[in-house]
Amino acid sequence: MPRGICQRKLPAWLAATVLLVLPGAALAAPGGTVVGLFGSCFIEGGGSRSAAKIGQSVQVGDTVDVPTDGKLKLRLSDGSVVSVAAGTRMTLTTVGVDGAGQRQDVHLSLAQGLLRAVVAPVERPASFEVDTAVGTAAVRSTDWFVEGSATAMQVGVLSGSVEMTSAATKRRETIPARWGARLEAGRDPVPPRVWSRAEFDAVIARTDVK
Amino acid sequence: MLAIGVGFLVAIGAFARDAAAYTAAGDRLFAATVVLPQLAPADEIYTWGSTQPFAGGNWLSEFNGTYAKTITENLGIVMQDTWTRFTQSGGAKPLYGWLNFDTELKYLAVNNQAHEFLLTFGLDHEWGGTGAARAGAFASGATTPRVYFGKGLGDLDIGYLRPLAITGLLGYQIAAAAPRPDLVTPGFVVEYSIPYLQSKVESLPLPEFIRGMTPMTEVLFSIPGGKSFGARTTLLICPGISYAGQGWEFLVEGLVPATHATAAGTGVVAQVHFSLDYLFPDTIGRPIFSQH
Repeated sequence: MPRGICQRKLPAWLAATVLLVLPGAALAAPGGTVVGLFGSCFIEGGGSRSAAKIGQSVQVGDTVDVPTDGKLKLRLSDGSVVSVAAGTRMTLTTVGVDGAGQRQDVHLSLAQGLLRAVVAPVERPASFEVDTAVGTAAVRSTDWFVEGSATAMQVGVLSGSVEMTSAATKRRETIPARWGARLEAGRDPVPPRVWSRAEFDAVIARTDVK
Repeated sequence: MLAIGVGFLVAIGAFARDAAAYTAAGDRLFAATVVLPQLAPADEIYTWGSTQPFAGGNWLSEFNGTYAKTITENLGIVMQDTWTRFTQSGGAKPLYGWLNFDTELKYLAVNNQAHEFLLTFGLDHEWGGTGAARAGAFASGATTPRVYFGKGLGDLDIGYLRPLAITGLLGYQIAAAAPRPDLVTPGFVVEYSIPYLQSKVESLPLPEFIRGMTPMTEVLFSIPGGKSFGARTTLLICPGISYAGQGWEFLVEGLVPATHATAAGTGVVAQVHFSLDYLFPDTIGRPIFSQH
């Protein structure tokens, strides 16, 4: 191989090597930005853990850790806003947008805690899903809450509708505005019911980030 | 014969079968009923039809339409009417027409989610003279205060019996004028919710169709209070099955008379019900004065 060609290709080889050795770096892509913060919250990614700051970029693959005395609000790359309540751990699994910034696929993983998601509307079918240990909640455009733990999840919908699917039985329930539903590990979703104003007020207060 | 027929109509009309919609207390959803009124205010529309043999080879068939609207989250109004046809044996002309228009205000006073318990107060009024006299509609109206309750057993440590629930009501129909009798109308329902079993107790590998079912039995008494004007105690036992989809329910029950005054034989009733608050949550399914 002529020496000149080898030298010209060296940066590409180096870049490829970095991508192979550091797959996390290869996947890192902006998933959102911290736009609201209360108390001490943390962003974990690439093997490090740092205190969250207003304006900080959060990458796809990062985990947001909100302790019991904190709250955090993220604006995702598709324009959706996710408010994270105290005592929550959530990972940005996928935040895919097209060239116009329209959502293609957003996937969040909720290990524990409560989220409020105001999902940006899109003109064509695109998914916005939150996985928990016991099931999945999927929406198009809506304002809704999802709370998850190792043994159960519940969804409350302020506007739009959410489809909640049991990971174990694959049974699903569609939850319309003003309604909510629960799902317990290994079981079918509980049929939805109307949530009271007090129930919504409780989850709004827990996710309200000034 | 005609007098007997009209008497039966009166008895059936007194049941005020303003069918029920499902109502929730926490994770407990009380299935729609057809013989007993619903437990609590809701936004819904439903219709039922029934047919049952009476003495002398006569048959009573009825079709009902009901619309229920919430005013606030806890207060609602129910409006309903029933078209009835009494087919007489021996070549006599059938008696048919609308019964009196009926309304009821309902107030949900207690909704204890943890204990799956509901308590509702109702005030029903039948508007006298709005129906066809030939079909058995009274010229005078009646007012019925009612108290309803619903209790799921899911908060008890009873394993596979947790899907059981009991609902009931006690009403006292006060006639506006003689010769219409006052009536005591107690009733109860025992139901076993397969959706509750699958979602709260254990998800069993049941066929899809079974998963939406709620077997139930409704029991309704009608007991003359004070001067009876010829009315007698009736007791209707109605075993059946409800099937719930998303925003709708279908229910079919047998109508088994337990006294001679109730009917001469077993009939059948079927109901289809739509939850407007589920299907149209942003428009006609909202309370008029919504806090949301």
